[in-house]
Amino acid sequence: MTIGVKVMKRPGAEASYVLATLKGMALTFSHLWRPKVTMQYPEEKSSKEWALSPRWRGTHRMLTDEQGRAKCVACGLCPQICPANCIKLVPGEDEQGNRYPLIYEIDEFRCVFCGYCQEVCPEEAIHVGVHYENSEYSRDRFVYDLERLCAQTHPVSSLWDPSDPKGE
Amino acid sequence: MSTELINLTVDDVPVSVPKGTLVIEAAKQAGVLVPHYCYHPGLPVAGVCRMCLVEIEKQPKLAIACATQVAEGMVVKTQSSAAKSARTGVLEFLLINHPLDCPICDQAGECELQDFTFQEGRPATRYSPVYAKRFNPVEDFGPDVLYVPNRCILCTRCVRFMEDVAKEPVLNVSERGDRAFIGIHPEARLDHPWAGNVVDLCPVGSLLSKDFLHKARAWELDKSASICTGCSQGCNITLDTREGVVVRVRPRPNLEVNRYFICDHGRMSYRWMNRGDRIEAPLVRRGGELHATDWDEALEAAATLLRGAARRGVVLASPRASTEALFFARELFRARGGDWRGAFQVVMGEEAALAAVPNLALRAERAPNARGAELLGYGRDYAAAVAAAETAAVLLVLDEPEIAGRTQGALIYAGTVLPAGGRGEAGGGGGGARDAQVVFPIANVAEEEGTFVNRDGRVQRYFQAKPTPGMARPAWWVFSELLAILGNGDGTEARVATAAAAFDRLASSVDAFRGLSYTHLGLAGVPASSTVPVPA
Repeated sequence: MTIGVKVMKRPGAEASYVLATLKGMALTFSHLWRPKVTMQYPEEKSSKEWALSPRWRGTHRMLTDEQGRAKCVACGLCPQICPANCIKLVPGEDEQGNRYPLIYEIDEFRCVFCGYCQEVCPEEAIHVGVHYENSEYSRDRFVYDLERLCAQTHPVSSLWDPSDPKGE
Repeated sequence: MSTELINLTVDDVPVSVPKGTLVIEAAKQAGVLVPHYCYHPGLPVAGVCRMCLVEIEKQPKLAIACATQVAEGMVVKTQSSAAKSARTGVLEFLLINHPLDCPICDQAGECELQDFTFQEGRPATRYSPVYAKRFNPVEDFGPDVLYVPNRCILCTRCVRFMEDVAKEPVLNVSERGDRAFIGIHPEARLDHPWAGNVVDLCPVGSLLSKDFLHKARAWELDKSASICTGCSQGCNITLDTREGVVVRVRPRPNLEVNRYFICDHGRMSYRWMNRGDRIEAPLVRRGGELHATDWDEALEAAATLLRGAARRGVVLASPRASTEALFFARELFRARGGDWRGAFQVVMGEEAALAAVPNLALRAERAPNARGAELLGYGRDYAAAVAAAETAAVLLVLDEPEIAGRTQGALIYAGTVLPAGGRGEAGGGGGGARDAQVVFPIANVAEEEGTFVNRDGRVQRYFQAKPTPGMARPAWWVFSELLAILGNGDGTEARVATAAAAFDRLASSVDAFRGLSYTHLGLAGVPASSTVPVPA
């Protein structure tokens, strides 16, 4: 008894991988001629197409006056308004008898970057920054003291859209 | 004041007040606070700020509520449009030269100018932004008072306090019109012993306390009712704490004791409440050295000493201790039928009266509870008690770390601090509190609830303002626990869990306090029964 064998017709061009591969490669190589969407971070940090919003709220910066002293007068409004309770302030008096912060520390780990501190500040001293690069080697470096806050140079947040300040 | 009542209506609320009452006080009874600056219930009426203008029906012009007496059928409208616009106008004048330095002003948050401007002032100034405000430098008025003329609204409360209450007129209003400022006599200083009150009286941040300057913002402070420990007058005070640290003492009005004022001595005597070198755990002597332990062991050790003491003991108590603590210290010996002797010593100082207020002075006796100790049978013959302690079986010392005498018996010390230095010389018992067999850490006046009895026999409560350090407990708790452990023989000693229970135990067993209850003492205090003679 012999076994009956049914011979199937071999598929033709529609099952060939050669054409599909060529198509895929064509797509791949076509990207060579398309406009680039990647940015060469960290060499390149912003471009015409993409930049941080001026309303970005990042780590803080304390502005200084002409003599390089912090503009802060230790009024105590920012620790009061801070929902994360991340600002430590001890007021004192300087040599001229002016009120100024003896200790001013912001724990950037506790901070929720709401920007209330900037909004409440009557002296326009403390600001949240347009800034996102915050890596450190130790956790305690994330408690920024007054000196460090004053030494920051990044731009400060505008918090709201200048053309639509009331958000209408 | 006559008992005849006058009926009037304030903002549609009918009130009845005695004849002669001022409209502003009648309004308070109707629940209406008429904005005001120069008026203060503790000072003579001046009527200079014009802030309390109200409309009174059938009167042609607005009247100042602080200088108008009530009349029958009067209808006062504090919120009529005429009255409100007049007050808004007054505020606008006051703000012409007032600097916008609220962020650095110590008064911010408790400033009446802020409050009333927020309540009914104009939302914005009509002055040009280039208008140069009047400027005068800060002046040093006295040991604790700074004057910031820029912020002054010339309500003259300080002038009237010094002139009419302290009777030492060193302040005046100098110059006139918009050049006016508060002047001080060129050869005088604001160093009257009660001068610090001008800082409290100032409705704005013009008169500042140097002691409190820049220390805390008003909204950070927690306020607790307390009694001044500075002298035997027993002035009612408020302890302002910030994060568990007492930063300021202010008077709390009590018309029977201190009216609206406290003296500078009392105002400044709060730093010891924040001492950091406190005893934080009970200590018992083991092998010649004091070792920290828990309450159970320390109480048991003390109970053992007391049990073996043939019930003969001497108590040397601080007159700063609460009446409850003094009571339970006594009961440790007395309730068990023992023979006891208690004494206290009082630091003396100079007396300084506030001239215009009868029976109000910084008293020579610088102890808040000397009278309470007397009522409980403690004597003033401290030296004799120290001598008696030499032969006593148990010497119980309550918060007097420097004990001059020695004792053959067991020394139990309950206190807030241990004296500096090492043990006294060896040989026959101890000298200082460091030689105690058992040391109990106790709370100070800011950390516990209790009562003091002032020199006139007024029993007054004070409240806890900050947490106790470590394991420290109120002295009344320590002694009442000890008493419960010892028992009085019939096993009926119930434990005392609260200051109220402690006081009720005291009231039920001491004649002078009989009939008083903790809740009825309230915030103003009640005189102890005066018919009971002071025990010798």
